[in-house]
Amino acid sequence: MESAVSLLNLVKSFGSFRAVDGISLEIPRGIIFGLIGPNGAGKTTTIRMILDILRPDSGEVRVFGVPAGDQVKDKIGYLPEERGLYRKTKVLEMLEYQGAIRGASPAAARREASAWLDRLELGEWKSRKVEELSKGMQQKVQFIGAILGKPELLILDEPFSGLDPVNQDAFKDLMLDLNRSGASIIFSTHQMETAERLCKQIALVNKGRIVLEGPLHQVKARFGKNSVLVEFEGDGSFLSSLPGVARVDDYGGYREVRLQNGADPQALLKAAVERVTVRRFEIVEPTLHNIFIEQVGGLSHHA
Amino acid sequence: MHKLLMVIRREYLERIRKRSFWLGTMLLPLLMVGLVVIQIAMAKTESGRQETIALVDATGKLAPVFEAKLAEEKTRDGKPAFRVESVPVEGSLDETRRRLEPRILSGDLFGILTVGEDLDSEDNFRLYAHSVGNIVAQKTIQTALKAAVLGLLLERNNLNVAPEVMKKLLAPVSIESFEVKEQGQVKKRGFDEAYIGTFAFVMVLYIALLLYGVAVMRGILEEKSNRIMEVLLGSLTPDQLMTGKILGIGLVGLTQVAIYAASAGLLRLYVTMAAFQAGWTGALDAISLQTIAYFFIFFLLGYFLYTSLFAAVGAVCNSEQEAQNLQSPLVMCLVIPMAMTFFFVSHPDSPGAVIASLIPLFAPMVMFMRITVLTPPFWQIALSILLLLGTTYLFFRGVGRIFRIGVLMYGKRPTVPEILKWARG
Repeated sequence: MESAVSLLNLVKSFGSFRAVDGISLEIPRGIIFGLIGPNGAGKTTTIRMILDILRPDSGEVRVFGVPAGDQVKDKIGYLPEERGLYRKTKVLEMLEYQGAIRGASPAAARREASAWLDRLELGEWKSRKVEELSKGMQQKVQFIGAILGKPELLILDEPFSGLDPVNQDAFKDLMLDLNRSGASIIFSTHQMETAERLCKQIALVNKGRIVLEGPLHQVKARFGKNSVLVEFEGDGSFLSSLPGVARVDDYGGYREVRLQNGADPQALLKAAVERVTVRRFEIVEPTLHNIFIEQVGGLSHHA
Repeated sequence: MHKLLMVIRREYLERIRKRSFWLGTMLLPLLMVGLVVIQIAMAKTESGRQETIALVDATGKLAPVFEAKLAEEKTRDGKPAFRVESVPVEGSLDETRRRLEPRILSGDLFGILTVGEDLDSEDNFRLYAHSVGNIVAQKTIQTALKAAVLGLLLERNNLNVAPEVMKKLLAPVSIESFEVKEQGQVKKRGFDEAYIGTFAFVMVLYIALLLYGVAVMRGILEEKSNRIMEVLLGSLTPDQLMTGKILGIGLVGLTQVAIYAASAGLLRLYVTMAAFQAGWTGALDAISLQTIAYFFIFFLLGYFLYTSLFAAVGAVCNSEQEAQNLQSPLVMCLVIPMAMTFFFVSHPDSPGAVIASLIPLFAPMVMFMRITVLTPPFWQIALSILLLLGTTYLFFRGVGRIFRIGVLMYGKRPTVPEILKWARG
């Protein structure tokens, strides 16, 4: 089965700035794929080229085996990071239009949009103007706009930014629902925790290049089980000066200690017990966050 | 095609459904109709009333002819428009007049006409009235007085003139102007009528081009500032979006212009039925079918040319303030021909007018003006339209490229050289 999206040596510059610098990527069908990286890494530019909003300087984009463009646009639902609505338009008319420009007849788009609004508890707001809605409601409307017409591929650019926790959960459930019913989903984010929870496969982008790529468990395995979670009482500042410790991340309640290759966790435990009261000691896979910071290095302040 | 139609549909319905559209659309015809109806109504009441003129005649001979001549002017219901009251001179002319003046102020008299004994004296004839601005009445009085004076002069010089000859002597010489057209056609037309008709059309053309050009620009700016552009571009190509917008708003413009045309037609019908004075029907006669056809042609051509440019301005700017500067050259291109309407109408065949009517940015207005006052050679009309079409095609292509790049750019507005570089692709 061909990929949902395949990118081949994609390059795009704006003036002298190379936003995308030779990205090649296969995104399989039917999974949730995370495009992760710091702000300005080239995620949005890549997405825009998948949608044929931007044309690459060189390289090739294929969606479901077809060159990106008009033919496949209707199969893609897109929720851009910069998403807006016509403020003076009624909610149902707004969605009707969004459905219609994706190929549906106005009546059919209306019916589908109406059903979604009911399902997301916005039924009473159908004939209100967009500007009367709260921000959270507008976000729901925008999300519905992206999924009208049962797109085979859903591209969500930072879908969770600015959402309150309730909506975050609602959207996450919707995403999983759509994915289960067959939609391939690409979503870009700089929130590692979200990506870690949802994605089956990821690509880490930095400075217009892919730094790391593959199924999440493989990516993690590549970094080995050499992280340790330590929860304790006392002064933990000694941890970073112990031999064999690569880095220490303080999360307040606990610390994640990354060991150098070949270092022995038992030695760490022994050293810790001598100095503080250990409550929890667990050998874990590194978090995506840590992998990300290691890979991206100096740019981590963006994340 | 479906997508393009959907964009057109939205742009059209969105605007047509607005109350402000109908308000704006109905206001101008209502104003036009209102003005004409008021004029007609006023003319009716005015001409329906019989006015009295006091004649204070030191010669004592003018009254019969003056009265008879004045009586030729009728009110609407067939009565003489003026009644003459001969007042004998008591004391001096001025004293007699002063005694009568209160009756003017009370509305009893329309005016007092005083005539001295010496017909050769320069200020021998004087009209005192409450309103001296009524040119029609003054002209009527003047004509009647002239007839009476002429009769008296003939009598004093012992010349006997038969009444028929007298009539001919007094008949005014009128000049009617004709417009020479191709194939020996001539058309009766005065300059005033040509000018008024053309000016009205050019005003509407100017307003429509500016209004709808700016509407397209605003629409694009709105989509940019509401951050909706990228949502739309996920489903539409930039070309579909731009073309759909221009066509949709163009249809709104056509709807509005059609409503104007229809109300002008109704107005004309009404005026004809009311058998109103020649001056007004004359101006409306200038609205021939041919004129209306050319109006639509040049409105459409001008619309596409200008809106493509306004669309480009919208695409590269982030706010209306920013767009102000960039759109001002476009507005100038529209204002210049409008401001020069008088020149183009009075010298429609001058080299300046011919050249201006071939320059695409001026052509829609200037060529249309020339067509309304004379019939330019066919090759000039054809060349003008061809140049317009060609330029519009080139603009659309260039603007399409600008649009593609510009609509997703926020931040600093690109410079004009940068924009031109995008347009070349």
